[in-house]
Amino acid sequence: MENIEYVEPKTVREACALLAKSENAKVLAGGASLVVLLKNKLIFPDQLVNLKTIAGLDRIDPSPEGELRIGALCRHRDIENSPVIQERCEILTQAALSIASPPIRNMGTIGGNICHAEPSADFPPALIALGATLKITGSKQSRTVPIAEFFSDYYENVLEPDEILTEIRIPPLPSFSGGSYLKLNKTTNSVAILGVGAVIGLDESGNCAYAGLGVGGAASTPLAITDAAMLVEKPITSSLIETVASAAVKRCEPISNVHATETYRKEMVGVLARRALTRALEKAERTTKES
Amino acid sequence: MKKEIELTINGSPYRLSVEPDRTLLEVLREDLGLTGTKEGCASGECGACTVLLDGEPIRSCLILAVDVRGREVVTIEGVAENRTPHKIQKAFIDCGAIQCGFCTPGMILVGKALLEKHPKPGERQIREAISGNLCRCTGYAKIVEAIKAASRS
Repeated sequence: MENIEYVEPKTVREACALLAKSENAKVLAGGASLVVLLKNKLIFPDQLVNLKTIAGLDRIDPSPEGELRIGALCRHRDIENSPVIQERCEILTQAALSIASPPIRNMGTIGGNICHAEPSADFPPALIALGATLKITGSKQSRTVPIAEFFSDYYENVLEPDEILTEIRIPPLPSFSGGSYLKLNKTTNSVAILGVGAVIGLDESGNCAYAGLGVGGAASTPLAITDAAMLVEKPITSSLIETVASAAVKRCEPISNVHATETYRKEMVGVLARRALTRALEKAERTTKES
Repeated sequence: MKKEIELTINGSPYRLSVEPDRTLLEVLREDLGLTGTKEGCASGECGACTVLLDGEPIRSCLILAVDVRGREVVTIEGVAENRTPHKIQKAFIDCGAIQCGFCTPGMILVGKALLEKHPKPGERQIREAISGNLCRCTGYAKIVEAIKAASRS
């Protein structure tokens, strides 16, 4: 490769300044996705900006307001092993464990998984179900974007050239909550054909106080199935779950490829949405019984 | 533009000058002649390129050499000590867990890392640990047996 520069910024500000100056820089997090693109000559950056040399981007901190803040440079392995994530938003633990294999999970980061914007990436559906927002920092300002609005197309996101994803923020869930991330794939470690994440939160009377549903692999971007909101303030019946699952099928626009046909994908979106919502509800109900 | 990096490989310090887009795998094999680490798929899926980075299994085909600056790398060449096979290597031989040998370096390194963290792993734990390493010859049974045997010795 012709003259590629490699830099190790120490702060986010330094990194954004480097990105703002360069025509064609790429950020390096875990490298699990980037190096594949580099080696297959799908990208030709003139500069690689290593984000791992910036301290403090891999923390997992609850904020005083009850929000959970996850640094973008947390590795899948860190998410998998985090007790606070297991306690507050266990669907992320499930999503992390479903990714590839142990050595990849020792390298890949949640920020990279999100920003690479593969339609079937595993964290986005779970994060959509949690109603997560993303903190993005650029050379001139910071902003927050709801996860569902972050993806613009296959492998494309809304980051400006000088912007970095720094944090993933999970809002507090109702006290009795449960989540389920279900992945359809051919073998244990292979990439998802489909991924569905569902989160349900109940109030003290057992009615639904929160419902979120995200689908990956069924369109050019991960999808937020906003119809899940129809469950709120009602007792959740299997017939209502079926209605939401059917709505999910209608919203998706899957492709046919060597792994699965469009028809099969559509069918399985319905099946997985129904299962994930049911399991999320079961988990939420279990927490009410435990208290 | 080449970058100067210092790192430890198999317990010895190295100072290298590498282009930023070269992977650790390329540098190990092509610059240092450490060809025990193999290239299978070049996309992180087969595990033949597995090495230990600060004790953790990673894919050397997916990590840039400049990115491991200041860290400790262990390859298969660094597993035996003073030409004495490690107990895992001995177990692989005794259990007949090696056929063509291509997956073996990766399997042994993953096994070594597992036993250092979990000295008495159950079968499920072993299988999960090696789930990222493909073997086309053995059907995995003897590899699992070998790691189990090593944990007992």
